[in-house]
Amino acid sequence: MEFIQKKTADNAAERFLPKAADKGTKLAWDRFEGQLPECGFCESGLSCRDCLQGPCISNPFRDANKLGVCGKDKDVLAAQSLLKLVLKGTMATLDQVGDFVEGVASGGVKPRDKAAADRVIAEIEALLKDGGAGMKKAFPKALLAAWEEAGIVPQGVAKDLFKASQKTEGGVAGVEETLFWAFKAALLGAFARKLQGDLKKAVFGAAPAEIEVDMGILKKDTATIILYGRFSPVLKVKIAEAAAKKKVAVMGVCTDPLLLPHVFAPVTSYGSQELPLMTGAVDLIVVGDQFVNPSLAAIAAEYSVAVVPTETLKDQNPDVFAKAIVEKALNAFGFRRSIVRDIPDAKKTALMGLSAADLDMKKIAAALAGEKIKGIAILAGTNNVKFTQDLPFVTLAQEFLKDGVLCISEGDAGVSLAKYGFLDPGQSEKHCSQGVAELLKTAGKNLPAVIDLGLAENGGLTEFLLALSAAAGKSIKELPILACFAEANRSAEAGEALSLVAMGVSTYFWPALPVTGSPKTMDALSTLCRLKFGAGMIVDTNKKREPLAKAGMILKVFNRVADPAAGDHPWTDWKK
Amino acid sequence: MKVLMVDKEKCTGCHQCELWCGTEIASISKELATAINETPQPVPRVYVEGKPFAMQCRHCEEAPCLDACPNGTMRRDPETGLIYVNEPTCIACWMCVMVCPFGIINPSSSLKVAIKCDRCRSMGYPICAEVCPTGAISLVERKDYRKKKF
Repeated sequence: MEFIQKKTADNAAERFLPKAADKGTKLAWDRFEGQLPECGFCESGLSCRDCLQGPCISNPFRDANKLGVCGKDKDVLAAQSLLKLVLKGTMATLDQVGDFVEGVASGGVKPRDKAAADRVIAEIEALLKDGGAGMKKAFPKALLAAWEEAGIVPQGVAKDLFKASQKTEGGVAGVEETLFWAFKAALLGAFARKLQGDLKKAVFGAAPAEIEVDMGILKKDTATIILYGRFSPVLKVKIAEAAAKKKVAVMGVCTDPLLLPHVFAPVTSYGSQELPLMTGAVDLIVVGDQFVNPSLAAIAAEYSVAVVPTETLKDQNPDVFAKAIVEKALNAFGFRRSIVRDIPDAKKTALMGLSAADLDMKKIAAALAGEKIKGIAILAGTNNVKFTQDLPFVTLAQEFLKDGVLCISEGDAGVSLAKYGFLDPGQSEKHCSQGVAELLKTAGKNLPAVIDLGLAENGGLTEFLLALSAAAGKSIKELPILACFAEANRSAEAGEALSLVAMGVSTYFWPALPVTGSPKTMDALSTLCRLKFGAGMIVDTNKKREPLAKAGMILKVFNRVADPAAGDHPWTDWKK
Repeated sequence: MKVLMVDKEKCTGCHQCELWCGTEIASISKELATAINETPQPVPRVYVEGKPFAMQCRHCEEAPCLDACPNGTMRRDPETGLIYVNEPTCIACWMCVMVCPFGIINPSSSLKVAIKCDRCRSMGYPICAEVCPTGAISLVERKDYRKKKF
């Protein structure tokens, strides 16, 4: 039951909150308050709707209903709550991969490197069928051995997702077994993300780009289309091509901003996705499913914005569809001339979409070994209304950089940080300690304070970790790297967090995953995972911890201050 | 005097009142995630049973528990009329448990005290009414409660 006083740290977004209140427009923050108090059983992972004998709960304060009708106890319920999240997250990744492969196979785009694209598509097919041998070669033997021992090496959709999903149907699998099924599904997602990244490289090429972000990039006198969420890159390219011919601007929210040579500049981050519509400067939105609030349809209607869904039951020819979208946007621009376009003065430059290939990994490894930097923090995930929008990301980045920790951003976290100049190469010295600043100068060309690896589907994080491990000559778990999902929200993030833990990166996850009802599951995520993978999942149950306190808690680990949580990291005695 | 009214048409049996009463009133930590693991197990003052229906102390005008209590542990607050247990003097004789016509007094064998709802008399508003998602539990004047047709 946490009421959030300050809704967002983003001034451009905050400007629209009184406007929404005046007009009676309900935004995500209003709806969240309407939901309070949220169901405590669901929050703790103690509820179940897996069969029609329920719904059941495990009541922590009464003996009569501690077990579900079928006999699931609190531990199994909590572990299965996590498993369900991960399954959904992995399916989200696989859905994107499927769309991409289908688009390329249909000849909708001409790959830059046809042979590489064909090879990656064959690997994706092998991965989905039987786990594929090719992907496994990319990982160090010791890591694969640990996964083999735990039984979590992906074996294809049927053996990973279908089997794992049946654990919620029945059987006597305990906490440990259920969790390892979740890890298996999470790894399948991680493998798929890496292959999707490889396919993107083969089809569009990969290079970072300096782009402008935030609501200030909206245009007063041009028809504007915003692409919301994840959908087929082929359709995105077709829309961009058709729009360029008609001089229509195309931007994005929660969508991959870089499909070279096309750029879909991020207008805002996930939490404030409804607000660009309120500027009046958006004529048409094209919406996928993932990362898209259903509320957009109603708000778009209120501001006379045309809405085009991409994911419908009927397939459409991308070329014809893209042209129709652009025509519709031009029409909308015509009849929307009387609507005031109220564009906030907020615009920042951001270098996005870097990859391990753009960085001198030897220099980063040397900086770690020579203690020029204390460690590497991965900031990932989207926004969550349970926190002041962007504040956790900004606070963590600020404190980490100041204290000599290199920051890497991935996913929508990059957009959040870009809004505050953390991705602006011109401002890198403003935030960083001397050690980090020196490293940034030498580790790559024109690097900003935070290194952005693009969206999760680029697989950039896995690539970065493997490259750093190779450059340092150490396994990932021996490197001082911590991941923070500071404002996590989507199921895909839970899956990604689990895959990072399996790779050896201890991960902090806010808000608490729905496992807090089971001490056994919480313990397994920390102790058992540390035993098996050398890294744990840290689920913080203290809802009142402020972002600054969170930063302090994590910095303690980076500074190797005696701490029960820090003691278990393989790299805490890494100085020796 | 204000009492809690439960609308049986609106009660969906979601047990949220039990959960948050157990956390906010009965637990030591007052945080759900930690209250869940407390020993002894926190005892909520409200029970969801039957049709479903949330039940808590009715704070009877002629309260049998007050008469049955042998040492004045069960008391009525003269200002608000609410009945509460003065826990330090409870001798766990369970006489109140036996005579309560609604069966809402819980004999806690681990804590050795009778546990019952005091309608959150030291809080601004009863927690069960605050958290009820359907508004089935509300705080009303006793005279209005009596007028209502069920």
